[in-house]
Amino acid sequence: MNPFAKVLLCTTSLLPAIVVLPSAIFAQVDPTTVYARAFALLAAEPYVKQGFHMREDYWTGDLASGERKAVRQQLFKGNEYWFWLGTEVDHAKVSVHIYNSDGKLAEQPDSWEKDHFAAAHIIPKTTGSYFIIVSVEESPEARTHWALGYGFR
Amino acid sequence: MVLFSKRLNSMVAAVFGLALCAHGAQAPRHVNINRLSTTVEDVVVPLPNEIFGALNKLSAVNWKEHVRSDEEPNFTERPRIALLLGTVIADGFIAVQAEDAPAVKGIGQRVLALAKGIGVGNSITPHAKAIIDAADKRNWANVRQELDRTQNSVQQAMNEVHDEKLSQLVSLGGWLRGTEVLTSVVKQHFSNDGAELLHQPDLLTYFQTRLQAMSEFNLPIVHQIQDALVEVKPLINIGNARISAESVKKVNEITTRLGNDIIKKD
Repeated sequence: MNPFAKVLLCTTSLLPAIVVLPSAIFAQVDPTTVYARAFALLAAEPYVKQGFHMREDYWTGDLASGERKAVRQQLFKGNEYWFWLGTEVDHAKVSVHIYNSDGKLAEQPDSWEKDHFAAAHIIPKTTGSYFIIVSVEESPEARTHWALGYGFR
Repeated sequence: MVLFSKRLNSMVAAVFGLALCAHGAQAPRHVNINRLSTTVEDVVVPLPNEIFGALNKLSAVNWKEHVRSDEEPNFTERPRIALLLGTVIADGFIAVQAEDAPAVKGIGQRVLALAKGIGVGNSITPHAKAIIDAADKRNWANVRQELDRTQNSVQQAMNEVHDEKLSQLVSLGGWLRGTEVLTSVVKQHFSNDGAELLHQPDLLTYFQTRLQAMSEFNLPIVHQIQDALVEVKPLINIGNARISAESVKKVNEITTRLGNDIIKKD
């Protein structure tokens, strides 16, 4: 089954969010990016139900096994954030972790990773720039697409 | 249908269960940031309500006094419309904070008119309708989500036709209006935590870099913003030191001046 159909079968309240993925994405972006994004949305679903506002903007890319990339993001003290990572590649192992501008691990201990998903949770102690590091630790594919979104409350 | 729905709900529950049974993430306690050669350049500019939410947690804010619902003049220059559109979307978030349904509905209409002015009206029409419907129902979470979708759709539509620079001006307009209101609130009831919300030096650098690459937009307002960001930078880029009440006041003066310049004709 194609991964997008798999995601569609997996959720109810996620459906509107996927439906409103800009049509331009489907027209112009590599479909694997859309699938990866759909998995990130799926990871976000339970948290959105808990009151997190998931941003419409997101980051995407592809990495080989063992590679990592850093995304720099402004976070505000007083808010609580979750970052959700998704990939469409079966049997890939992906991770996401959050570091402060000094390079110190800044996430909460309930951050997790499993199957197509990984998530990192932060309650920033200071307002400023943070680094969100996305890694593909193992993958059967040469390049593994990923999508990273975040939400706050 | 009921069976299908039950299956879907159980799958969602299964995904939620992932978070409970997933492996705790083993991560290095420290990384050398300077050695991270592969950094994604794309910046996601925070929404105004990301900052407003943090402000709300510090103390009660009278959002009604920051709601702006005046009609702006009609501009013909696309960069000016893009800046104004970002500002008006930010006004939408302020009106939501104030739970001012008539203002939100008016803003929904203005967003649509401005989007048409830069040729992306078609992608905004459903969002404008959704904003107005959600405001009628006073469903503020939905209004916030639709405002975010509106900004995202405008930017996607602009990027499609290689108008990325206009897309960046939409973000900049929103950021300036958000910063104007943030500093206005903190100026009235100063606190160190409130002032710390201004600590956004990387975002400022991002906007400065983008503006430097917009030489084709030879408009007074663009130059005024460039000059203003140079003024603002030393006030908020102060490392681990605290941002003073005086700095907050100065940033407010600068962003208020720019805000007025964005909404008025030259």
